Amino acid sequence: MSDSRLTKPTTRRAALQAGLAIAALPFAGMFANRASGQSRPPTKVLDFTTTADVAKAEQEGEFLFYTHDSEPAGASVVEAFGKDFPKIKGKYLRAQNGALYTKVLAERSAGRYAVDVIQFSEPATALDFQKKGGWMRHVSPQSEFYAPEHLSNPVGDFFCPGVTFAGICYNTDKVKPEEAPKNWKDLLNPRWQNAMSVKQSTSGLQFVQWFELKKLYGDGYWKEFAKLRPRGFDSRAQLFDRLAKGDDKVCGLAELAGYLLQKEKGAHIAFVTPPDGLPAGTLWNGVVDRAPHPEAAKLFVDWLMSPRGQAHYQTNPFFYYGSVRKDAPPMPGGTRLRDFKLLAPTAAEMPIYMAAQDTFTKEWNAMLGL
Amino acid sequence: MSSALARTGVPPGRAVSAQMVSMAVVIAVVGLFVLYPVFYLLQAAFDVGAPNVRPPTAYGLDNFSALGKYWEIMVNTLIVTFAATFMALVFGFLTAWILTRTNVPFQRTLEQLMAVPYYVTPLLGALAWNFLGAPESGFINQVWRGIGGDGALVDITTAMGIAWVMALFEGSVAFVMIGAVMKSMDPALEEASQVVGAGRWRTMLRVTLPLVAPGVLGAAIFVFAEMLGSFSAALVLGTPARFYVITTAIYQFVSQYPPRLPLAAALGVSLFAVMFAMLYLYRRVTANRSFVTISGKAFRPRTMDMGRLRWLLFAICAAYVFLSVALPIATLVYASVQKLAVALPSADNFTFDNYRTAFSLNAVRSALSNSLVLGLVTATVGVALTGMLAWIIQRSRLPGRGVLEYIVMFPQAVPRLVFAFGMMWAWLAFPVPIYGTFWILLIAYLTVFLPLGVRTISGVIMQLDKSLEECGQVCGASWGYRLRTIIAPLLRPGILAAWLLIFVASVRELGASILLMGPDSKVMTPAIAEAFFSTSSELTAAMALIQTVVVAIAMVLFTLITRKASRVGVGP
Repeated sequence: MSDSRLTKPTTRRAALQAGLAIAALPFAGMFANRASGQSRPPTKVLDFTTTADVAKAEQEGEFLFYTHDSEPAGASVVEAFGKDFPKIKGKYLRAQNGALYTKVLAERSAGRYAVDVIQFSEPATALDFQKKGGWMRHVSPQSEFYAPEHLSNPVGDFFCPGVTFAGICYNTDKVKPEEAPKNWKDLLNPRWQNAMSVKQSTSGLQFVQWFELKKLYGDGYWKEFAKLRPRGFDSRAQLFDRLAKGDDKVCGLAELAGYLLQKEKGAHIAFVTPPDGLPAGTLWNGVVDRAPHPEAAKLFVDWLMSPRGQAHYQTNPFFYYGSVRKDAPPMPGGTRLRDFKLLAPTAAEMPIYMAAQDTFTKEWNAMLGL
Repeated sequence: MSSALARTGVPPGRAVSAQMVSMAVVIAVVGLFVLYPVFYLLQAAFDVGAPNVRPPTAYGLDNFSALGKYWEIMVNTLIVTFAATFMALVFGFLTAWILTRTNVPFQRTLEQLMAVPYYVTPLLGALAWNFLGAPESGFINQVWRGIGGDGALVDITTAMGIAWVMALFEGSVAFVMIGAVMKSMDPALEEASQVVGAGRWRTMLRVTLPLVAPGVLGAAIFVFAEMLGSFSAALVLGTPARFYVITTAIYQFVSQYPPRLPLAAALGVSLFAVMFAMLYLYRRVTANRSFVTISGKAFRPRTMDMGRLRWLLFAICAAYVFLSVALPIATLVYASVQKLAVALPSADNFTFDNYRTAFSLNAVRSALSNSLVLGLVTATVGVALTGMLAWIIQRSRLPGRGVLEYIVMFPQAVPRLVFAFGMMWAWLAFPVPIYGTFWILLIAYLTVFLPLGVRTISGVIMQLDKSLEECGQVCGASWGYRLRTIIAPLLRPGILAAWLLIFVASVRELGASILLMGPDSKVMTPAIAEAFFSTSSELTAAMALIQTVVVAIAMVLFTLITRKASRVGVGP
């Protein structure tokens, strides 16, 4: 199974899978409690509705966005927002999820409130921030386009602006299609010893893969996997860079977004969709409590939740995140999230999932020689 | 001298108090810049309370006792650090000697080229050598297999490969530091050695080397610390081979969720011990010995005639320049104009998109100018601050000046990635709101580059004969006047070298900037590192080359200005 699978027409079976996939995506036991009220009646701006006071937002004139995403990604999203709202200047700072969280907590503990909107790369950080009272409650009128599992509980603290998911990828110059792994268990073949790459324990998606494949195949899977001495990297860009150049033969956590980007450059690589499913990671975004520019921050979040912001996240090459918005158009390549069997912890599993973080980090670090 | 005394017009009592006030201010600034963040770092290292809660809820030694689990990483770090320091010192001493003490051909051109590796971000060197020597995709290995070879001819991802890259790019500081000391040396001592029958090599080993020992030892300590805190080469070359050193391990610990900052802080703090052992050794070696080469007797720098051997010496320097400048830069230029960097060119793989993307990033454009401005301010203020500090440590009779030398070395003893957390916590809690502004980066740079400035200028101060200053004192010149008219002019090579080193170090700073820069005070090197993580090595190559060209232009301008100033007699 390779590229052709990406453009496969949607069948009834796929649609059924889609229902399962979306239901299985919640991550954060954050089932919506829609009891929270809205402070302002929604107004229509451009082609979306917002509860932000647009005039005040323009008076504030700026907002600061902290993100785990890359520098060009951060620049592109505030620029896209700026085109729609030229009177509001978006600024951004990026850092790895852990460092970003440490930074924001340190600022708050010192009584410095500079950031308006923050985005984390995985749910545990967002939930911990919620426990610490870090989010401002802002119930966006866009929330109705999102399933409850993609919103915080209670609604208004944060939402899921996108999903990234991963299959297997291989270098077609180094591996013949018939020899390529077809499913996750094929990665245990000794021929991939010292020839396979994965992500570091810093990756939220890597944690999901570890959790889900353990569920599917039992504890022994990762013990066998560790014997192959995989190499760990921080970002999908590094994984695909190496794969395209033949430094690794196989990538064990190949994000579709990274594959599309590298394929556009003409790399000799192929994507495999394992029939057992694709681990999916969610991002979480919201307005920060005591934001210095609250109306601009709310407007940015409403915009990001709207089709305009979601289109940017879904089509900009620095993101290529699948949208969980109910009316989201297809992703680049014509596929939709529901075309894939996505693997993610369910709401009921969330406490076990979060408790497993420490074990994952230790096991994964040890496996990568750290 | 009597006219000098008349010009000062300052009573001795006031002169002493001016000296004391200046010293007190410098010491207070150093205390604030260094010890204040160190306090927070120590607090984190002993934090065994709830994660992510500040201030810590409980203290203990658990983080230190957990370090034993990482013995393999510590061994890796020591192997790479010692190997890289050794290589850097050999390259640095040999090339500095050739270019300052011999009549090697094209001396001036070579000298300028030799410093180039230090101008570029270490990431550039690591990236270039990864393009060249990666076992599978490295250009050298691709060509090797293309002509029928088997396997990998070169593997740059080994411990020695990493040390080689570190020595070439981060060790080039040794050349600048040792070169500054050698320039200040009276050639009469070497000439005397040759007059009594010693050969050129014997003179180098028995006269030159011992006389520049403080400079070499100072450079050794600095380079050792630099290698201990080195990040880029180990990250780019070591990670693919599952080879971790302390800095790359720390990077992972602080990036993961929940961040293991206390463990990272303990790992960083434990390096204090290694660093201070080195400094103790340095002080023991240099104590009670005279390294004076600049006395009241005038001298004109002269070089030794090496005869035909000068072409061999030229070949040594040219080989170094080829491996550390020409080859890596050519490789990066070649890689940056490809979609996917491969050894053999093809028309459909050619692109200028990487440059188009790099120039289109607004953040990069503003980051570049921020970096240059910060570099200029840091170098200028830093030279004054570190010059004073070096003088206090080496020349004053201030009680506790030895302790000051240890304090100054704190920022060098800990990887900057960790020290940055101490600075972040400290300056967040500081009542004046400088966090997130340009000023915090200036303070951070001044702090982390204190050791660089002090080590460079100290090496030259130790060569100054005290009698020169005493002579001024006897003639009644105030401390400030003596500093301005005697010490500063004699220290000029050291001061210029320190300025240059601090400027370049500031422009290419990575570890502290990542955490401390604000949305309006972004700087360049983190943007390049970021490109490496999140885009592609080809775009990273383009960005690193852009930075290199801009820094090179700044350096050329600096050289022209200082030369012109020298000609018209401006300056001391």
